[in-house]
Amino acid sequence: MPFFDSPDDEEDEHLTVRELLTEMKDISEVIVDLAYAALLFDSQEIGAEVHHLGSRMDTLNHEIKIRMMLASRTKQDAVQLSVLLQVAEGAAAISKAAGDIVDLLELNPKGSPIVSLVLKEAEEKIRLQTLSDQSDMKGKSLESLSVETETGMRIIAIKRGIRWIYDPEKEVTLKEGDVLVVRGTEDGFERLRRFATGMEKWPVYPQEES
Amino acid sequence: MGPLEEMLLEIKDTSELMVDLAYSSLLYNNRDIAEEVNQLDARMQELENDIQEMAVQNAVEDRDIKKALLIIRLAQSVGEISGAAMKIADVVRRDVPPHPVIQLSLRETDVIITAVTVGATSDLAGATLGKIKLATNTGMYAIAIRRGRRYIYGPDQYTMMMEGDTLYVRGPEDGEQYLRDLANGTVHLEPKDLK
Repeated sequence: MPFFDSPDDEEDEHLTVRELLTEMKDISEVIVDLAYAALLFDSQEIGAEVHHLGSRMDTLNHEIKIRMMLASRTKQDAVQLSVLLQVAEGAAAISKAAGDIVDLLELNPKGSPIVSLVLKEAEEKIRLQTLSDQSDMKGKSLESLSVETETGMRIIAIKRGIRWIYDPEKEVTLKEGDVLVVRGTEDGFERLRRFATGMEKWPVYPQEES
Repeated sequence: MGPLEEMLLEIKDTSELMVDLAYSSLLYNNRDIAEEVNQLDARMQELENDIQEMAVQNAVEDRDIKKALLIIRLAQSVGEISGAAMKIADVVRRDVPPHPVIQLSLRETDVIITAVTVGATSDLAGATLGKIKLATNTGMYAIAIRRGRRYIYGPDQYTMMMEGDTLYVRGPEDGEQYLRDLANGTVHLEPKDLK
């Protein structure tokens, strides 16, 4: 293996350390949910995305290490930066564990309902909800909706036709027929379901200050 | 659910709480929270051992080797997650001031973990989480509550909040200020919010 391997993705070089670490933390938070979702829905497809996010995590971890080494000038620097590296390692370890969870698909978890039984009993459940054409959530961006603030449900992925959007960005606009993979409590899910089926109108608030 | 399912559920919930608390210990550079992560890990180890033992025992009885493997490996992976949380929280237990970039990175994410203290005149004092509909009204979920020296993990709708409680919550940043105002009593819920 070459020592001076350039990063796979050139644009990573332009990311700041802060951006690298933020992305690592974000991935570490969504990847475990996705791994459980892969088991729960017995989906190789979601599993493949977990592995994809996992290799993204490796790239980021690699990049952050290089930056730390370049940034270290004094002993004091090195001590502080080693701490930062340890956090990055932690995030990377979480994504590795998520990859291991997905590999359990090979053991045919469908044949042993225990796993889905446990996942269905969890305090925060992972569920699917289809967006009806009656729902006024359609055509709106995730940013304008703030689904998590309104319902407490976190959207971990969206299935649109045969395509999946994982860990959707704020700019994503919902469409009729989207299947939302969400995570949260029973209470929150019920609330989201009412909006997504069009039983209730999405609340509009007068001019928000921020 | 049988005891094995209960234990699997507990390690899953515990590992998630550990990750949440680990990141939040970093964000606030708080040793107490980091210490909690440590203690939860002890519980994790115990559960992991019990799960392995029970899974093997079941396999001897029902000869379902795949099922036992599935359970043992799942428990192991969940254990790795808690190990990662330990690694993250360990940073706080060292005597090194955290690099400012760490705090900035944690702040920058869409979902934050924060701590608020319940004031005497707050609507939250003396009310259950279910009554307040904390998640619905603020978008923030209580992941743990600290009461004096005691911690309540994974509080549910029947959990009562009391004056002086520290709520550890996670949710989108735009819900934070409202929750903070609600907790210190400068803002009150309207009757329609409680229905």
